[in-house]
Amino acid sequence: MNTQAALRTGLLASLLFAAAVHAAPRIGEPAPAFTAVDSNGRTVKLSDFAGRTVVMEWTNHGCPYVQKWYGGGMQALQKDATGKGAVWLTVLSSAPGTQGHVDGPTANRMMKEQGAAPTHYLLDYEGKVGRAYAAQVTPHMYVIAPDGRLAYMGGIDSIASTEVNDIAKAEPLTRLAIDAVLAGKPVAKAQTRPYGCSVKYAN
Amino acid sequence: MSLIPYLCCVLALTSAAPALYAARSEAQISPRASVALLSASDVAAPGQTLDLGLHFRFQPGWHIYWMNPGDAGQPPRIEVFAPAGSALGDVNWPAPERHVDGPITTFVHQGEVLLPFTVTLPPALAGAAALSVKANWLVCKDICIPEEGVFRLALPAGSPQDSAEAPLFEAARAAVPTRSEWRATVDAQGVLTLEGAGTGTLQAADFFPADWGRVEHGAAQTLSTTGDTARIALTPGPDFDPEKALEGVLRVRGADGIERALWVTTPGASTVRTPALSLAAADALPPAAPASPVAAPADEGLLWPLLFAFAGGLLLNLMPCVFPVLAIKALSFAKMGGDHAAAVRLQSLAYCAGVVASFLLLAALLLALRAAGTQAGWGFQFQSPVFVAAMATLLFGIGLNLSGVFDIGARLASAGESLASRGGLAGSFFTGVLAVVVATPCTAPFMGGAIAAALGAPAPVTVGIFVALGLGMALPYLLFAFFPAVAAHMPRPGAWMERLKQALAFPMYGAAAWLVWVLSQQSGADGVLHVLAALLLVALAAWLFGVAQRASAGNWSWRGAAALALLAGLLALGRTPEPAATMPVAQTAEGAYSVQRLADLRAAGTPVFVNMTAAWCVTCLMNEKVALSTDAVQGAFAARGIVYLKGDWTRADPDITRFLQSHGRDGVPLYVYYAPGREGVVLPQILTPQIVLDHIAS
Repeated sequence: MNTQAALRTGLLASLLFAAAVHAAPRIGEPAPAFTAVDSNGRTVKLSDFAGRTVVMEWTNHGCPYVQKWYGGGMQALQKDATGKGAVWLTVLSSAPGTQGHVDGPTANRMMKEQGAAPTHYLLDYEGKVGRAYAAQVTPHMYVIAPDGRLAYMGGIDSIASTEVNDIAKAEPLTRLAIDAVLAGKPVAKAQTRPYGCSVKYAN
Repeated sequence: MSLIPYLCCVLALTSAAPALYAARSEAQISPRASVALLSASDVAAPGQTLDLGLHFRFQPGWHIYWMNPGDAGQPPRIEVFAPAGSALGDVNWPAPERHVDGPITTFVHQGEVLLPFTVTLPPALAGAAALSVKANWLVCKDICIPEEGVFRLALPAGSPQDSAEAPLFEAARAAVPTRSEWRATVDAQGVLTLEGAGTGTLQAADFFPADWGRVEHGAAQTLSTTGDTARIALTPGPDFDPEKALEGVLRVRGADGIERALWVTTPGASTVRTPALSLAAADALPPAAPASPVAAPADEGLLWPLLFAFAGGLLLNLMPCVFPVLAIKALSFAKMGGDHAAAVRLQSLAYCAGVVASFLLLAALLLALRAAGTQAGWGFQFQSPVFVAAMATLLFGIGLNLSGVFDIGARLASAGESLASRGGLAGSFFTGVLAVVVATPCTAPFMGGAIAAALGAPAPVTVGIFVALGLGMALPYLLFAFFPAVAAHMPRPGAWMERLKQALAFPMYGAAAWLVWVLSQQSGADGVLHVLAALLLVALAAWLFGVAQRASAGNWSWRGAAALALLAGLLALGRTPEPAATMPVAQTAEGAYSVQRLADLRAAGTPVFVNMTAAWCVTCLMNEKVALSTDAVQGAFAARGIVYLKGDWTRADPDITRFLQSHGRDGVPLYVYYAPGREGVVLPQILTPQIVLDHIAS
């Protein structure tokens, strides 16, 4: 009886896992699980942050859209979110030899120079995390609620441009999503159009 | 020959230039794309609709995005500045292509594309129509670069008439999807059904949704056909709603194998889209284009580049490259001190014609090279070792003549100093020619922008700019003609002239020595050996020729020997080795510039100072001496961890040429400072330690 239940649970879990790997992530469903190494060589699992709000940000410092946001907007968003108790994961899926690819020490130095303060900077050179989340652009933003379900995915804001001045005019979609999840409220616009440069995946 | 009609002709050509390029604006050129605004008509008719278009030509692999860019990217944004009362249509998008990069699918335009749109002019349009377009676009290959530009057209009023660009508009019309006659519907599963004649025999179909997220951009599309129905199984995207109209371009291949692009709309409310175009009043003039990439010339398109070119030409007279020749000409004017003012005026005009003719020749050469696809820049001829060797030999020969080793009679019209010192109109004309040849490596500060504009501009504008350069350079001599009093105050001929002439030999020797050093950078030791052999043989020829001139009779054997020696010297010149494949670049502690190196350093967040220089560029050497190599600057570089990269353009280097062009320049020097995570800042062409320190501190 117990064995059968365990088997059934195991089967269900593996099916869920398969679904997470092969299908695009969906709002309201469990966020795809992952394990990755951060810029300090530490292994980071999504399950490490169970019960907390997790923000994920895809990055590539050579991309003009990322540069627009690292003029100060992204750092402010990071400080604000982590200050309110959220976990911020910056994810780099640029394969070796592609734009934005940096090693851990370089990533750390750049973050320091830019005044960036993510909880972890994940080195996803093989694109496993990126593909699991179907991350298409930099910056592509995701917010995971404390219950582990995906609460937001999409654009960092509503104006697709490389102009820094547009940040102030745009609807701050990611900020609104983070604030809603932190307040335990539903996200009004849970899936929006992401904009930016394509993620430079390994082929 | 009469020079005045000739000069009038040149001036007429310059002033006629704007009318010649009315249907195509100045192009904005970057290493990725060349972009220009086109008009299908040469004339703007009041109250009528004008076909305009932004024409992109891309380097291989680069692309821009369609109205729905797909998973990433951004379509171009175009702001049109038209006369008050004008009306604007939206961009008539040509059908896109699918671009798949791993899990990311985008819809792009590559190769060459015209984005056509219409402007309906007000009925009460007075005079010519001035139209401007300000656009920004994202151009991507493996990486994305935002670019922007301002484009201007001025069209005279009148009845419409096809311009030279009209065929491009015809071709663009063929690339724009036609509205589908088929009944299109979409079900809740995302199956697009097409009903009507011809649908049952479709061989292939590819649907491009006009709006983001309605269907998964990269998902497989399965075509199935039965009778008069085609079904295309699409994968619904995050914004899918079968109740709303699904619109987009369907590329199909029929049974006849012919591909067509159709515009398909299913029933339901259409999506409200932000148009790619917006309209502003013509008097709300767009701000000047950014400095990088190459900016389109401002205002009337032609006036500023011409003014800058003119000022640049004027300044050229003060450059060290021109000064020796200037000195010679001053000498010949001194000789003419006693002559009539009318004669002096004619001499000045002849010199002016010589200068202008040389610039016209340079323009023709530049246009020919540009047409041949060569990445040509200012001073490019100095990248040819044979040219440098020949210039060294010529200047050395002139020096020998000034030193009195041989004389060239007033009646002999041959190359070199004789051209410069000889009296008569031909002598003045060729002095002008020589002044230009020697002046080319000196990129005077005002000239950079003008040359950049000339390189990106249509042919008549390029010619106009070169003519303006020539006129600026010849201006001091024209002043002699119009103010005879100046000529009257010239020193009288005397024994001092001979001494001055002999003294002037030394700048010539100096210039020759400098060119030999330049050659040593280009062709190495072998090149130096060849040019020194040539100099030796020319010296022998000069001495033999001098002996012949002084012999009372039977001097033909001497002259023959002189001719043989000269021939041998020219042969040695012609065999000057081309640059070796791997030539050591003159370097100290700094690194050599390479595209990869700069990209890596910038990627790593390291501050970088780039110095683009060439051995034949005097300004570059001066800047390095007085500013860049000083302890203050070197110390500041070290203290801030700034990496100093030096690009050597002494020999042709397409990477450096592209770098220069991407900063709106076509000559060295060019100094760019990259602060971590920032775009490069271009420093002035004349440096002081303070200028450098100020830039790296900001």
